[in-house]
Amino acid sequence: MKVSLKLDRQRLAGQAPLLTLLLLCLVTALMTDRFLSPLNLTNILVQSSIMAVIAMGMTFVIIAGGFDLSVGSTAALSGCIAAMVMVKAGLLAGVGAGVAAGAAVGLANGLIIAKLDVNPFITTLGMMVLVRGIVFLLTGGAPVGDEGLPGAFLAFGSSRFLGVHYLVWVPAILLAALSWLLHATPYGRRVFATGGGREAAYLSGVRVERIIASTYVWCGALAGLAGVMLAARLQSGQPTAGEFYELTAIAAVVLGGAALHGGEGTLYKTIIGVFIMIVLGNSLNLLNVDSYWQRVAVGAVIIAAAAADRIRSRH
Amino acid sequence: MMAEASTVPAAVVPAPAVSASHVAKRFGATTALDDVSFNVTAGEIHALVGENGAGKSTLMRILDGVHRPDAGTVAIDGIPCRLASPRDAIAAGIVMIPQELRLVPALSVAENLALGDWPTRRLLGVPIFVDRARLRAEAGRALSDIGFAPDPDRRVDSLGFAERQLVAIAKALRRRCRVLILDEPTAALEKREIDRLFGVLQGLKSQGTAIIYVSHRLDEVVALADRCTVLRDGRVAATARRGAFSADDLVHAMTGRAIAAHEPPDMPRGDVVLEDGATLADTMRVHGGEVLGLAGLLGSGADRVLRRLFGLSERPSVVRVNGTTRRLATPACAVAAGIGMVPAERRLGLVMSQSVRDNILLPSLERLRRGGRLDRAAGARLVAGLMDLLDIRPRRPDMKAAALSGGNQQKVILAKWLARAVGVLLLDEPTQGIDVAAKAQIHALVRDFARRGGGVIVGSSDLAELVRLCDSVVALRRGTPVARIERSDLSETRLRTAIGG
Repeated sequence: MKVSLKLDRQRLAGQAPLLTLLLLCLVTALMTDRFLSPLNLTNILVQSSIMAVIAMGMTFVIIAGGFDLSVGSTAALSGCIAAMVMVKAGLLAGVGAGVAAGAAVGLANGLIIAKLDVNPFITTLGMMVLVRGIVFLLTGGAPVGDEGLPGAFLAFGSSRFLGVHYLVWVPAILLAALSWLLHATPYGRRVFATGGGREAAYLSGVRVERIIASTYVWCGALAGLAGVMLAARLQSGQPTAGEFYELTAIAAVVLGGAALHGGEGTLYKTIIGVFIMIVLGNSLNLLNVDSYWQRVAVGAVIIAAAAADRIRSRH
Repeated sequence: MMAEASTVPAAVVPAPAVSASHVAKRFGATTALDDVSFNVTAGEIHALVGENGAGKSTLMRILDGVHRPDAGTVAIDGIPCRLASPRDAIAAGIVMIPQELRLVPALSVAENLALGDWPTRRLLGVPIFVDRARLRAEAGRALSDIGFAPDPDRRVDSLGFAERQLVAIAKALRRRCRVLILDEPTAALEKREIDRLFGVLQGLKSQGTAIIYVSHRLDEVVALADRCTVLRDGRVAATARRGAFSADDLVHAMTGRAIAAHEPPDMPRGDVVLEDGATLADTMRVHGGEVLGLAGLLGSGADRVLRRLFGLSERPSVVRVNGTTRRLATPACAVAAGIGMVPAERRLGLVMSQSVRDNILLPSLERLRRGGRLDRAAGARLVAGLMDLLDIRPRRPDMKAAALSGGNQQKVILAKWLARAVGVLLLDEPTQGIDVAAKAQIHALVRDFARRGGGVIVGSSDLAELVRLCDSVVALRRGTPVARIERSDLSETRLRTAIGG
């Protein structure tokens, strides 16, 4: 009797992110009738899809015990590079160049952090500023590809397949593929082991430096892909895009129950964390909350999520 | 033989410095302590022994103010009191010296001694400046009280463990500690340092300090303690005065049965399975079916030899495995060559936040790959078989490694390498801090691994363990093998002479 009650409580705690999301939706729906309108719901889905791609990469890094602040800048870099290449060399080359640029930033992060053992916070903070600088150098601060972007690319950013935006299909497919990678393959078990106890994993024969570096490559490549999606949605590469995305992504991962000290986390709960962050922003908008106050609220949620992580890990 | 015989009239005996009467403590469904009474008087060394999970830690934490008992009382000088936090305990003169010392590595010896209670100079009546001269003088006095004189300006992280421990004791005394609780104080000490520590403890005892001494090393308890209390399954199994108990009595009381001394049977030796490329001569080589010991004083380099053989040196090491020369740059190379290592610290052997299953399978993931993915069913079978074979309790593969007892954690680390089917096992202090019963089981598993043709190298500072477990032992001095002693010659005395202890 007592045992089953305890199990139930554990199971309930495991579903806390989902319950939070449902509660948030319920409250917003009761306070404003525009929340449930098809237009608004579509908007939430599309906004969430780009953040979800970034947050999934962030989940890899955080499970392996790391941290990446450079994803917002990387998304902007990839969006601009994709647009530049696309105008000259076509759609696929553009998308490939965008994702590759993101992966390259991730590889740089990964090598510096894993091989040189530099603190991830400092490394990626530096990379965030450095990459943003490169974006402005490349573009001169002006949007890229206002004209000349392939029609298919513009369509990708706005049209639907089976009634659902193409942009939403991307994270849906990635969620399935990456969950398989993380939970069903030897590589995935090594990522968890490295984050849970780097030295113990090393002494078990895991090449921890490669594993850590690889998670930053995943994170960079996915941030790059998100940047390409953002460019499709904005119909241009915007050098200022993606600001504060890193904070939203990290908050989403932590809200989804991943441990900031590594070794724990699931992609599906990260997606729920993304929805919480996006719906929160959406509902504050609908309720006409002053935009300055919105920043205060989002910042508070991020700190609260991190504090909840510490309290969880104490038990 | 093991019963408390109080022939002295109660009125003559002073109240115990600290006592726990009929205390009970539960954590969830587990009863950690059940009707336990324990006391220590001024000028007495009272040893507390028991297997892992017997309730020693819980009792210590109650006396140290970390836990509050569910039932029963704690009294200081016979006066019942409530210790709500370690702060209360320190105020009452009870100080615990845990295995992991609570010192600040980057501060000097003097600063550590004064931490939280700095001597200050005042400016306009406000205490602003730290009075360095007084800080140093007070530190010197506190240290010389226990006959230990390091430079008070030395940083604590430049001291060895034994010296840091003495600093911790000096710090406790500076706080007017009347009851000193020591948790496994000799686990990381070598013989000479243990003798020095015992000298210090005898000195404190004669000055009237009450000492609670918790240890797994029963020979030390017999040599040192005025009284000894044995806990088993959260109850007091026995209490006896000095001279009324032997190490065997203690084992019997701790486990409820006698443990037979284990004599390794003579086994046919196979071919050489591992040979160190760095040492000349034929000292550092192990055959299939052989358990080779490494004996040496602390810092003699047994651990460095093991690390080298596992690819953990600064530079890649060269070894011969089954006759093939291999260059080991990282542990991954060593594992690929069929070498497994059980480190001295269990947190390095296990990913504590992961399940027992994930830990056991970690070195074998590549072998369980089937078409890109992990063959979960095969993995589950492997884990279930090993948990049965090694008697890992509880039999729950999805339990987090951190939740297991020390002995069972050590078995999981062994299971990890058995799953990988390694040919050579390197063990560093394999039974440090593990209770008697689990120790015997681990010895049996190691012998069994050798009987199946595996080669084993064991580094241990416990010479009795080496004599019991090994076919031959290499004695080390300053990282160099000085002698190889075969089974027929093996004895503790012979080993102690060889390592120069």
